Amino acid sequence: MTDEKTTNFGYQKVPVEEKAGRVRAVFDSVASRYDLMNDLMSLGIHRLWKRQTVELAGVRRGQRVLDLAAGTGDLSERFAGIVGKGGEVVVTDINSAMLARGRARLVDVGVSGNVHFAQVDAEALPFSASHFDCVSIGFGLRNVTHKQRALEEMFRVLRPGGRALVLEFSHPESPPLRKVYDLYSFSALPLLGRLIAGDADSYRYLAESIRMHPNQETLLGMMEQAGFERCDFFNLSGGIVAIHRGYRL
Amino acid sequence: MSEGGSVPDAVLATLETVVNYYLSLDPEGAARLGDLQGRVILIELAGFGTRVYVVPGDGGLQLFGDYAGEPDCVLYGTPLALARMGVSGQREDQLFSGEVRIAGDTHLAQAFGNFLGGLEVDWEEQLSRLLGDAAAHQVGVQVQSVERWGRRTSDILTQDIQEYLQEEARLLPGRYETRAFLDDVDRLRDDVDRLAARVERLANALGEGRPDRETPAPESDAQRVDMQRATYRDRAGE
Repeated sequence: MTDEKTTNFGYQKVPVEEKAGRVRAVFDSVASRYDLMNDLMSLGIHRLWKRQTVELAGVRRGQRVLDLAAGTGDLSERFAGIVGKGGEVVVTDINSAMLARGRARLVDVGVSGNVHFAQVDAEALPFSASHFDCVSIGFGLRNVTHKQRALEEMFRVLRPGGRALVLEFSHPESPPLRKVYDLYSFSALPLLGRLIAGDADSYRYLAESIRMHPNQETLLGMMEQAGFERCDFFNLSGGIVAIHRGYRL
Repeated sequence: MSEGGSVPDAVLATLETVVNYYLSLDPEGAARLGDLQGRVILIELAGFGTRVYVVPGDGGLQLFGDYAGEPDCVLYGTPLALARMGVSGQREDQLFSGEVRIAGDTHLAQAFGNFLGGLEVDWEEQLSRLLGDAAAHQVGVQVQSVERWGRRTSDILTQDIQEYLQEEARLLPGRYETRAFLDDVDRLRDDVDRLAARVERLANALGEGRPDRETPAPESDAQRVDMQRATYRDRAGE
């Protein structure tokens, strides 16, 4: 989906080396209101999507979890509870503003001791191979410039038997829902963005980037290409969001 | 996607919020959760077939519909019995009557029950945030005095009814009468036992058609008692 020189940034084509910087600008801009906006945009349902992701991860006590694009740490918070004192959750984001917010929020809710924070690029993970029992990326993959490379990196750091979870916006299955969803995301979303976060462009980017993200089947194929086995996906809320899961065997 | 028996995520999320809000009303009580941190408790509701995994964290509980590993302990019972066990100080009643079953780490189950039972919300403090300290204190004092009046009234009523039934209507015996009667019953039971033993011994002697040489007739009361004891021991041995 990308040629060598340009990549998608929403509906625009931008030079490959520019995308990371532009994504960073978007998240720098929305970081302070990120949670509030998520609640408003998804009517609070994003919390259920995240709960579902953690349950599908099948993480147990004492395991090591890598949470990529952790944002404000919603997934990490629940992972940290399950893995307990003997486990470890590495909370990462490429954006330092988001990571700082995530760290502050986790400390505020009393999650500490078994969580570590690192600012990392999902395309080049600074971890040794076969290190984690679970790698998750929640609403982050579509912002990554080279998605295939990120999936390969997730595969590399997983231990045999480990699993990767990709929670991401996807493509609604039924045409009527798609119509409503389009209307909502191109009219209501930027309006909300302007009113709440004072930044309509960033939220227009979010809507556009969701449309440019590969659909369920394509992403499943990409995971298989990265080496994952027994891949499957679960549509949530009629396919507005999908959880892809793959194992390293 | 979700297994049969697990609670819908939306319900779990709401429940988790409500529970954690309640815990936040008693921060000192919630701090005791620290000891249970990271343990996994499975609560199975009988009748509904639903299961909830509870993972205590720092100052709050996380609820999961599914957990990949083995839980540390399982609490199985009807919602009512589990609630009673959590709230009441006498958990043994529910356990011994079989209303609640515990599998796995019973110490953890007990600690969790103690934690729930030990929660005590200072409602006056919560009220003071709405009404201010002075008004909340007044309300608290009123509530306490109503509580005290209720307790005293119920005590007096119980005592009056007891006195009426025992002393006026003479429908029930008094405490001393009852104790004396129970003592008599005990003595009678022992006497009957001794008599039975004696009859049996005599029957044995008669059955053999001659006086029992190995057990000569007792010469004193003390000896008789000893022989009766020996007979009891023999019978218990059978």
